[in-house]
Amino acid sequence: MNDASMDRRTWLASAAMGIGLLLSYGTLAVQGMMYLLPQQIGRRGRKLFAGRLVDYKVGGVRTFLDLEGNDILVKRDEEGLKAYSSVCPHLGCRVHWVDAEKHFFCPCHRGVFDETGIAISGPPADGGQRLSEVPLDVDKDGGVVYIEVKDIKRS
Amino acid sequence: MPEGVASEKKGFFNRIEALFPFDWDLLRHAGAEPVPYHLKKWWFCLGGTPMYLFVVQVITGIALTFYYVPSPAEAYHSVFVITHDIRFGWFLRSIHKWSANLMIISVFLHLLRVYFTGAYRHPRELNWVFGFALLGATLAFGFTGYSLVYEQLSFWGATVATNLADAVPFVGSYISYFMRGGPEVGEQTLTRFFIFHIGVLPTLVFFLLALHIVLVRLHGVTELHFEGEVVEKEHRFFRFWPEHATTEILIGVLLMYLLTILSLIWPAQLGAPANPNVTPEHIKPEWYFYFSFRLLKLTSLKVSVVLTGAIMGIAMFWPFIESWLKRKFGMSERLSIFIGIFAFLGFLVLTVWESFAH
Repeated sequence: MNDASMDRRTWLASAAMGIGLLLSYGTLAVQGMMYLLPQQIGRRGRKLFAGRLVDYKVGGVRTFLDLEGNDILVKRDEEGLKAYSSVCPHLGCRVHWVDAEKHFFCPCHRGVFDETGIAISGPPADGGQRLSEVPLDVDKDGGVVYIEVKDIKRS
Repeated sequence: MPEGVASEKKGFFNRIEALFPFDWDLLRHAGAEPVPYHLKKWWFCLGGTPMYLFVVQVITGIALTFYYVPSPAEAYHSVFVITHDIRFGWFLRSIHKWSANLMIISVFLHLLRVYFTGAYRHPRELNWVFGFALLGATLAFGFTGYSLVYEQLSFWGATVATNLADAVPFVGSYISYFMRGGPEVGEQTLTRFFIFHIGVLPTLVFFLLALHIVLVRLHGVTELHFEGEVVEKEHRFFRFWPEHATTEILIGVLLMYLLTILSLIWPAQLGAPANPNVTPEHIKPEWYFYFSFRLLKLTSLKVSVVLTGAIMGIAMFWPFIESWLKRKFGMSERLSIFIGIFAFLGFLVLTVWESFAH
């Protein structure tokens, strides 16, 4: 091995290392620049994963948390899926699903809501109130359910 | 006629040199620092690790500052936005968090290496003090940075820490009042912590690091000989540039790799937002303050603060204290090793104990 080939080898090794470093740190720098690009922040809503479609039994209700910590009740019947807020329209207590009775029940003042969220007894029924619906998005192809909830408050 | 000579030179680089008359031989001289052969062992490259991580912290930190808002009403939300909305925000935040943790670990390891190889002894006492100040600054970085997140645990961590500062004898109440910017943790505190985290501490660390490295260069790297090692007459050295620099670049790439993997597996999380009205059941500082927190639980507030301060003070000036003890009482250097092992095990036991306790 003569000196010239050693030099070339060293040079090649250094060049490979330099290019490698440049490429890897360069990639990082490009991604970093994308972070710095002005971006739309403070979106109003946010989609949350609410399970797979096959996990829902007809007539059953599953519960998910929104970003404010409230339960969202997702119900499946023959027509499809509906999502309801668990906040009672009367005084803001938490409503839950009673599977045996097939209705939503608010324990604070014994408010009862039917399967479609309409109040049928107790103070909410007197006021003609109903559970507020939460927008729902079903991805039929993927068989995945999303609920669209409010993002947490940003002033 | 030096001006005439410079302007007569032709070519791009000569023109640049005329505009920027720097003697490149100086750099060549500085880069040609002889490095003892034992630095081929990776264990001895731990000093470069926190420096590399500091650069990572500066870059990711500046990036995070683009979106962070240092006010109690906005802080948590802005961290939330960085974590969930901004492209790559979660990644940069995770890198920043993991790099901080690794930085503290590597500063500790570097300190242990320097201590147990006796590299702090005369004439390098002063560099140990600078190094120790860097450790303090690193811990202060961790504390202020964590508090900026303004989640429940970090808020109460800041409250507990400023209460601890209150217990420092004589000046404690002034220190805590200064840290908080008022009687309690609030709006002023966050601004202060923010300025410390992104302004005061980085500047301090920059100059301390410069002093630290200049002193290493002036003294030369310690030549280490193990007991019973046959010392060759001719010292074996290799050059800093390019040999040792290549090692450091490799370490940098490995660290980046490690940081990425840690950030992917355990990305930085966000707890509940700070609520001054609700004290969480279990308050815990970050792991690097566990020893102090455990000490606090074992003793009283006053005792633990004074004890922590005393241990830190002794450790910081240990090179001077040791040589004084040697002169005065003929203390053996072997005793230093035992003291070091005792102190390290003590730290380890308190940290592990606290990490398993509730």
